[in-house]
This record gives sequence, C-alpha cells and structure tokens, in this order.
Amino acid sequence: MSGAAPAIEVRDLRKDFGRFQAVKGVSFDVAGGEIVGFLGPNGAGKTTTIKMITGLLKITSGTVRVEGLDIREHPAAARRKMGYMSQKFSLYPLLTALENIDFFAGISGLAPGERRRHAARIRQDLPEAVLRQKVQDIPPGIRQKVAMFVCLMPDPGIILLDEPTSGVDPEARRLFWNDIYGLKTQGKTLLVSTHNLDEAEYCDRILILHNGELIAAGEPDELLRRQGKADIEELFKDAIHDHGQN
Amino acid sequence: MVRFQEISKAFGAIRAVDRVSLEIAPAAITILAGADGAGKSTLFKMLVGLVKKDSGAILLNGADVGDDYSRVTSVCGYMPEKFSLYSDLSVEENMDFFAAVQQVPEQRRRELKQRLLERTGMEPFRGRRAGALSGGMKQKLALSTILLSSPQLIILDEPTTGVDPLSRIEFFAIIEELKREGRTIVMSTPYLDEAEKGDHIVLMRKGRVLRQDSIAGLRRAFPARMFRILPRGNVFAAMQGIAADPELAGRAYLRGKFIRCLQEGRENPGARIPHLEMVEEQPTLEDMYIYYERQA
Repeated sequence: MSGAAPAIEVRDLRKDFGRFQAVKGVSFDVAGGEIVGFLGPNGAGKTTTIKMITGLLKITSGTVRVEGLDIREHPAAARRKMGYMSQKFSLYPLLTALENIDFFAGISGLAPGERRRHAARIRQDLPEAVLRQKVQDIPPGIRQKVAMFVCLMPDPGIILLDEPTSGVDPEARRLFWNDIYGLKTQGKTLLVSTHNLDEAEYCDRILILHNGELIAAGEPDELLRRQGKADIEELFKDAIHDHGQN
Repeated sequence: MVRFQEISKAFGAIRAVDRVSLEIAPAAITILAGADGAGKSTLFKMLVGLVKKDSGAILLNGADVGDDYSRVTSVCGYMPEKFSLYSDLSVEENMDFFAAVQQVPEQRRRELKQRLLERTGMEPFRGRRAGALSGGMKQKLALSTILLSSPQLIILDEPTTGVDPLSRIEFFAIIEELKREGRTIVMSTPYLDEAEKGDHIVLMRKGRVLRQDSIAGLRRAFPARMFRILPRGNVFAAMQGIAADPELAGRAYLRGKFIRCLQEGRENPGARIPHLEMVEEQPTLEDMYIYYERQA
C-alpha cells in the first residue's frame, strides 16, 4: 500500500500550440513538504507546465493531480490547494504595500478580520515605514517579498513560484530564500522556477526541462556526483548539449 | 588600456559614482558586478562621453582623455543596457544598417557579417525580424552590430541581464573568444556567479568600489573561511540554534540540506553546530560581496 498522494503528480503531460509542441509528455512528482527547482532555458516549457498544473492553461493530454485531485475533473477544489506567483505578477506601483495587501485580500474574498490579521503578520517582518511607501519606491527585493506575501494570503499548502528572484540583489535573494525555507518549515510544498542556476542548490530536488522534455531530475548534489560535474552550470550545459545530440 | 582615476559623478544629492579608481587591462575581461544603483552604467557612460564626469580623470593607453571622448569612441564598441535594435528589420538588415552607420567598407562588411552570423549561431535566423528573436538572440545580434566596426575595446552594459541561463552561457563563450583574439572587454552584470569568470572583478555598491581583484586574489584577501555543514538532525532546528547563538548569528545561511557558515576568527563553527559532515569550501563571489556590503 503506497503512502499519501504526492502534492503534485504530473503524468505524460503535453501541450501543443497549433503544430508547436511546447511540452512533450512530461512526468514527475513533487512530494509534500519538498522544494523542487525548475530549471531550463527560455522556451523549455517551464511556465507552460506550471500554468497547466495551476489550471490556467488547457492540457492537451496527460494528467495533473494535486493532492490526488485531477485538475481537469476538480478544478476549483484543486486550485484552492495552490498559490501561484506568476513571472509577471506585479503589485500596483502607485499603491502602498499595505494598500496592495488590502486590495488583493479583498479580491481573494478574505473577510475584514482576516485582512487585518494578514496586515498584522507582515508588520512582524517589515517596518511600518516601508509598508506605507508606494510600491514603486520600495527596493526590488522587498517588493518581491510583499508580492509573495500577497499571493499566499489564502494560505495554500502548495506554492508555485515562477522566477521569483529575477532582478533581486544578492542579499535580498538570500533573504527571499529564507522566506521560502520558512514556508517549508510550515509544511508547505514549493515548485520554484529560476534562471539563476546557483539556486538549484537551495532546492531539495531539481528538474531540468529542455525543448518541452524533462532531461534531468534529482537531488542537486546527487546529480553532480553521479554525473561527475563540477557545478550546476556544467551539469545544466552538458545535459542540454547531450539532449540535443540524441 | 583604460584607467579611471578618482572619478566622481553626482546627480543632485545622489552620488552615483564616488571616487572610483580602476584599471581595464588589455586583452582581458574586466567585470563590474553589483546590484542596481551601484554606478556601473554611469561609469560606462562617462567613459564614452555620454555623461560628463564631475571630477577625476580617464586615461586611455596612458594619456588623459580630457574632453575629447572621440579618442575612446574611435576604438570602442559600446552596447548600452537598453540597446535598441530595429525590431521591424531582419537580423541581416540590422547588421547592414549598423555597418553603414559605422561606415564599414562594403567588402569588409560582407566578410564580417558572415563571420559574426556564424560565430553567434545566428546564421539560420538571418532573415528573421529582430522583434521576433528571443532575449538571448537579441543580445547576440546587438553584440554583433557593435563588432562590425572591429573595436579594440568592447564595453557591454549588463548584456546578460534577464537573459535565460543557456543564452547567458553562450554569450559569455563569445566574450571569451573575443578575449582570445586580443580584444579588451569590460562588462557589467548583476549576476555574481557570472562575474566570477572575469579576469578582473570590480565589486561595486552605491557608487563605490567595495573590492577589486581577480577571483583568486579576492579569495586570498578574504578575511573569513567558508564551511559547508551537514547538520545532525533537522536542518531548520540547527538554523534556529544558530540564530540564537551570538557567535554565529548572521554568518550562516541555509542552502538545501546544508548550512553554509563563515568563520571569521579562530572559532570553529563545527564545534557549535552538531554535524555529520563539515567541508571547507571556496567562498563564492556572492559570499564576499555580501560580507563586504555589510561592512560598508
């Protein structure tokens, strides 16, 4: 008898846009409480896969199950289990951080009491003066922290982040990863796509996608050891090169 | 090849560049690394005369440039951060256009264009509209257009920012090839892992140079050691212990199942963190940047 269903189960997932095959039969699991890094060049199919998992994009074929629920059969129930911060998610620059929190809490259908609770929670992490600044005046690292907070207000168990650290400076990036680990200690499951290859080592496991296919998967240090690579960049480059030759 | 001596530039109350001195060695890759607002772009703009410096001197091959920036622009190719290609023109048309602007003779233009298309892997896309290219290919095309004038000094302002990792690796391979040809390259980047590949690295923050040297030199001078520790038991519980330990707080961070911890003095972090494994690692440029940034 197997244990609980994986947080995310993807089987033979395909997506065609006309004649273009963006995702070509990808299968993987994300276990509960795990941080999985999603790497790949542009056009590899990372965002398309994430959008199919979250039910934002129609699946051509294959299945996605979220804690055992098929996203196509139970879209609303499956979506309630997930929080998603898209690559292009942006707060309203002319509103303050607190006004943004209030606005997004409102459209998420959170009751006023809940909204106040969220506002109190972010006050523990960020100074009041920053929260009262217009978002356009807040440094990118803190802006991203607020954006993630806003996306996770409904308190989902499974979190999908699409390139959350783009344009964030080094110290802020480490602090952002601290927040991600904080979510993991709360038992959350995370799937994080990134263009920063060194972030692979922050993850429990990585998936490398290229031309719509999964070309490598495993624990980062285990992959390096098994394949005899010096670092993630070499692993990444060679995986793509070898895949191109097949 | 180029020397900045005590260069400063303020925009109102903001000191964008504050008494910066550095040298760009010939036939080498110099990388200015730092977050937004470090002063990297302003420094490049002062070098090519797009922004007037407040004080200091710029020397080209030992001679002060003064106000005659044509001395620099006649030997350099400058790719600004927001380089604008003509999106409605094809790859080839863009190259022809920029070659014409730079008055490259017809015969040489044809030869160089072909060579650059092959070198950058753009040959199959020569007829594609620039607007339809991926971010990485746009940057390769932008680089190609500045190489048409065969510059000796190549100035690249954040050429790989926002570009996907594979394109970044490919772009850097082209830069290394240019260096092997004897060209002088100076580029800026916010990616510290990329900056490690430079021959000379200038770590910048808020208009000032934090440190500069080769990666080996920076590591030699770094006053702390870095350890990778696999803690015994739960890694998060170990991190909580570290946060509560005044000797270690702020020096460690989590990286997957490992804790990376800086040792500044004689104390041994392994003695304070119950562990299964502890390995000394080379500090990364990011480790050093964050260390010096906190001291600044």
